[in-house]
Amino acid sequence: MKLRGSFFGKEILKNIFKKRNFTVEKTFCYIAISLSSFCALLGFFSMAFSFYIGDVALRIFLLFIGLLFCYLIYYSFTTLGKRKEIIGFTIFTFVVFILAYFLPLLPPEYGLQQYDVDASVLKFIIVSIVFIIVGIIGASFAMKPLFKFTTKSNQFSAYFILTFSLVFILYPLFVILSNLIVNGSGGITLNFLTENVLKHGAEGGVSYAIVGTFIVIIGTALIAIPLGVASAIYLHEYAKSGPIVRLIRIATDILQGVPSIVFGLFGFAVFVPIFGICILSGILVMGFMTLPIIIRSSEEALMCVPRSLREGSYALGATKWQTIRRVVIPPAIPGILTGSVLGLGRAAGETAPIIFTASIFIAPPPTSIFSPIQSLSYHLYILTKYIGAYPVDQNAWATALLLMSIVLGMNAIAIIIREKYRVEF
Amino acid sequence: MLLPRNIKESIIKNIFFISAAFSIFIILFIFYFLFQQAYPAFQHSGFSIFSNDWVSTEGKYGIGAAIYGTIIVTVGAMIISIPLGIAGAIFLSELAPPYLRTILKPLIELIAGVPSIVFGFIGIILLVGYLQPTFGLLSGYTFLAGSLILGIMAVPIIVSMSDDAMKAVPRELKEGSLALGATKWQTIKKVIIPTSISGISAAVILGVGRAVGETMAVSLVLANTMQIPVPPWNIFQSTGSTITSLIFTHMGEGTGLETNALFASAVILFVIVAIMSIVSNILKERISKKFRGG
Repeated sequence: MKLRGSFFGKEILKNIFKKRNFTVEKTFCYIAISLSSFCALLGFFSMAFSFYIGDVALRIFLLFIGLLFCYLIYYSFTTLGKRKEIIGFTIFTFVVFILAYFLPLLPPEYGLQQYDVDASVLKFIIVSIVFIIVGIIGASFAMKPLFKFTTKSNQFSAYFILTFSLVFILYPLFVILSNLIVNGSGGITLNFLTENVLKHGAEGGVSYAIVGTFIVIIGTALIAIPLGVASAIYLHEYAKSGPIVRLIRIATDILQGVPSIVFGLFGFAVFVPIFGICILSGILVMGFMTLPIIIRSSEEALMCVPRSLREGSYALGATKWQTIRRVVIPPAIPGILTGSVLGLGRAAGETAPIIFTASIFIAPPPTSIFSPIQSLSYHLYILTKYIGAYPVDQNAWATALLLMSIVLGMNAIAIIIREKYRVEF
Repeated sequence: MLLPRNIKESIIKNIFFISAAFSIFIILFIFYFLFQQAYPAFQHSGFSIFSNDWVSTEGKYGIGAAIYGTIIVTVGAMIISIPLGIAGAIFLSELAPPYLRTILKPLIELIAGVPSIVFGFIGIILLVGYLQPTFGLLSGYTFLAGSLILGIMAVPIIVSMSDDAMKAVPRELKEGSLALGATKWQTIKKVIIPTSISGISAAVILGVGRAVGETMAVSLVLANTMQIPVPPWNIFQSTGSTITSLIFTHMGEGTGLETNALFASAVILFVIVAIMSIVSNILKERISKKFRGG
């Protein structure tokens, strides 16, 4: 991979890097790749943090990328002798130069009024989107001369795009967690955890709401776990096929997909007229909602118990029920618990069904299953509505953080159960 | 043991059967009661329930605007989440080294675990607050905000399920392709994605179903008015609601026919989502049958 003629400073660079298979061309490819990746990341972060890098910086940056690509074209054309493949390169470089000239000339706001839309796009949004696209295309192009235009170069181009998509996937999680921790952790004090709601939630705390949330979790578990595990045992141990089993499976699938608001309405139409807005209505609805998750995870847990254990038990003369109770269920318990805790964690964060069936904003301490309760998710919903009207921001962030940590805590418990009591066959 | 063995066994079996059949009862119950409550609205409006004409003072309950809103928000969410979700799944199942996979998969599933009310809260404070100045809007409560929130929420579902589908592709197929001299990327493109396509589509449909049924996050970031924006594709206008946000915001306010109309929209929602979950599960079953039988 030697350049025809000599290249100024080649020897110096060679001495600096002192790598065996070092070539200037490869270094340039690497620089182009990293610069393009940086360009894409810069575009992403300028979009996320609403800043514009400035006309001069933008021009210099794009010109630099363009010049690098000019060199790559030259290298591909002369040394690698690729004539057809560099057409895309040339177009890309040309576009980059045009963008370097025109982007700073854009007006600071691009109005969409001409399309009857009352909105305008700020310059930084256009620039960031251009940067992301240029960066991704640039990096995948710069991979090609590095691998001499083989099929492997396509592979690395694709890999780059796939890896970059992770930035978009994980960024929301980062934003949510960092904001919750930064804004919420200051609000979680002893008072917040032990006092009841005061002044529309602006002061005081969420003690009753915490209790209410846990009551709902426990009640849901009492309804959903026995029913779910029993269904799973029937589906997996007693009947594996047949029209009724098929029907049950379809029903479970539909149940899993039913939107939470529909469950809320169902509870509102059926249980609330009988029991009123109370714990019982809430946990019945939540139990039905969690049921399919528990059925599915219990079935998976039962599936992991090998046939040989069951057959061994039958061979000793045990009946089906004895086999299930003594042989099949014990090793499946960690799996069942893991799935159940995950499902209950999901239920802890649900809001829509609880609002219609069990929760009110300020409730006295519950005395029976027929009294209404407070719950964290409903509390957060009301505080969200009060933002701007009352000074509730601090408590709202703290409630959100608390709710999030309960859900995360339950997920963590599930993972611990799975890892600690894992039974290997 | 007081009872003879076989009687006891059959009693136990029947107890299990009843619990298993309970799911069917619940589904029938839900549908029956929703329809019972919705029936007066269907009777009152007939097909005009699909019209874009919701004036509760005049007794007009057309939920067309909410259906349109659901469609546009879901389409927006899918434009965001399908490419990201599939790319993430390919990365997770084929490219990521094992240590990265053990970190990334729980992280991505963590996004799915974030309660929707927390998404709504963060959406109001950060997303709506970001869109309003960025696009020079009067108010940030738009379809754009709804699409973005739903897109973010649907990504982990699509990633996680597509990843499972791609992991289920038998090793022999991959190794056969690699042995023929294909690169890893060619194998992904020509072998892994085509064989797992029904699993991937199941994931996408499930993601769509979640997006259609999502309530809290979406109703908090929408303007919740029963109008179709002008022009219809104007996602920057602070109007519009989805079926879920219509139900959520109007429930408990009106009486009589208005409540019946809300139940009618719940019936429509239920039917859409039920069809989606059935299709998704048929596709999922097909892929597992294909590999188990083959």
